[in-house]
Amino acid sequence: PDFLTISFGVKGEFRQSQQHVYIELQRDGFCQNPFFECLVAEIPEELKSKEGFTVVGYALYFYTYSTWKGRSLYLEDLYVMPEFRGINIGSRIRLFYESVGRSKQCVRLQLSVLNWNTPSRDFYAAKGGQDLTVSEGWHFVRFDGQNLDNLANDAPKI
Amino acid sequence: CFKLSQWAGRAPAAPRHRLQQVMAVFEALPAWQRNLEQDGFSKNPFFHGIVAEVSDQHRTKDGHTKIGYALYFYSYSSWAGRAIYMEDLYVMPEFRGKGIGKALMSKVAQLGLAAGCNQLDFTVLDWNKSSLDFYLSQGCFDITATVGYHCMRCKGEALEHLAQP
Repeated sequence: PDFLTISFGVKGEFRQSQQHVYIELQRDGFCQNPFFECLVAEIPEELKSKEGFTVVGYALYFYTYSTWKGRSLYLEDLYVMPEFRGINIGSRIRLFYESVGRSKQCVRLQLSVLNWNTPSRDFYAAKGGQDLTVSEGWHFVRFDGQNLDNLANDAPKI
Repeated sequence: CFKLSQWAGRAPAAPRHRLQQVMAVFEALPAWQRNLEQDGFSKNPFFHGIVAEVSDQHRTKDGHTKIGYALYFYSYSSWAGRAIYMEDLYVMPEFRGKGIGKALMSKVAQLGLAAGCNQLDFTVLDWNKSSLDFYLSQGCFDITATVGYHCMRCKGEALEHLAQP
């Protein structure tokens, strides 16, 4: 629809009207070597949501690396407010981050999906995405909290 | 006995050469070799690495003293903030069982914490029981098994299709 514009929220002001604005997001997305990039979907003032938001969707992503294939893009978040779904905002956001990925010569897009989220799994499968957990047996593993501290304490002094 | 050293973007010529020494033991990876210079040693590198080195008297039959490495990059969670992702962890077979892999992983954790990261993430193949058991014994948890996250990938034509409405 032509009333929709997608603007880059990477540099410049972070919309204070967002419901959840975290200090860390501002610090980490807008420093010299940002930890992530972000695209926002914005609608005209006259179509704003009940609470007065004109930013109604976003994608948060960062660059990753594979020693086999090179640069990839990892999509961490893709969100559109419920009242604005079903009008292709998601696909317009996708178009943008894919062109960003291409401009940075990324050869892959990676993301994770919860196993019970059938609509999302079906969507990516229909587009030709591979579920590497099912097809190859990859599992995500994480260290955090005290376990991360313990692991770091075992590091040799270089 | 071994020592660890860091290599990353803005590194002088020497670390680049050392990385290539380690990489020489692997099969040729054409895309990666072409992009290594650009991606690992530019102003904003796409990855960072740590190399494990033994002294000259312990070098391999082929003369390598660089016998292991860890490759990692920074990632992000809108829930938890800064995170570190360990893409590769490798020690040459003849140098395993000496704590080098653990030392490399610990170093990645230490660097991650120093950079303000709250998580260290990586992936393991579910049939790789010995690796999975080792990592679990070190205190990590299997997000796929416990929470249900699946790793998804789109590439080539699938990547093109994804951009279509």
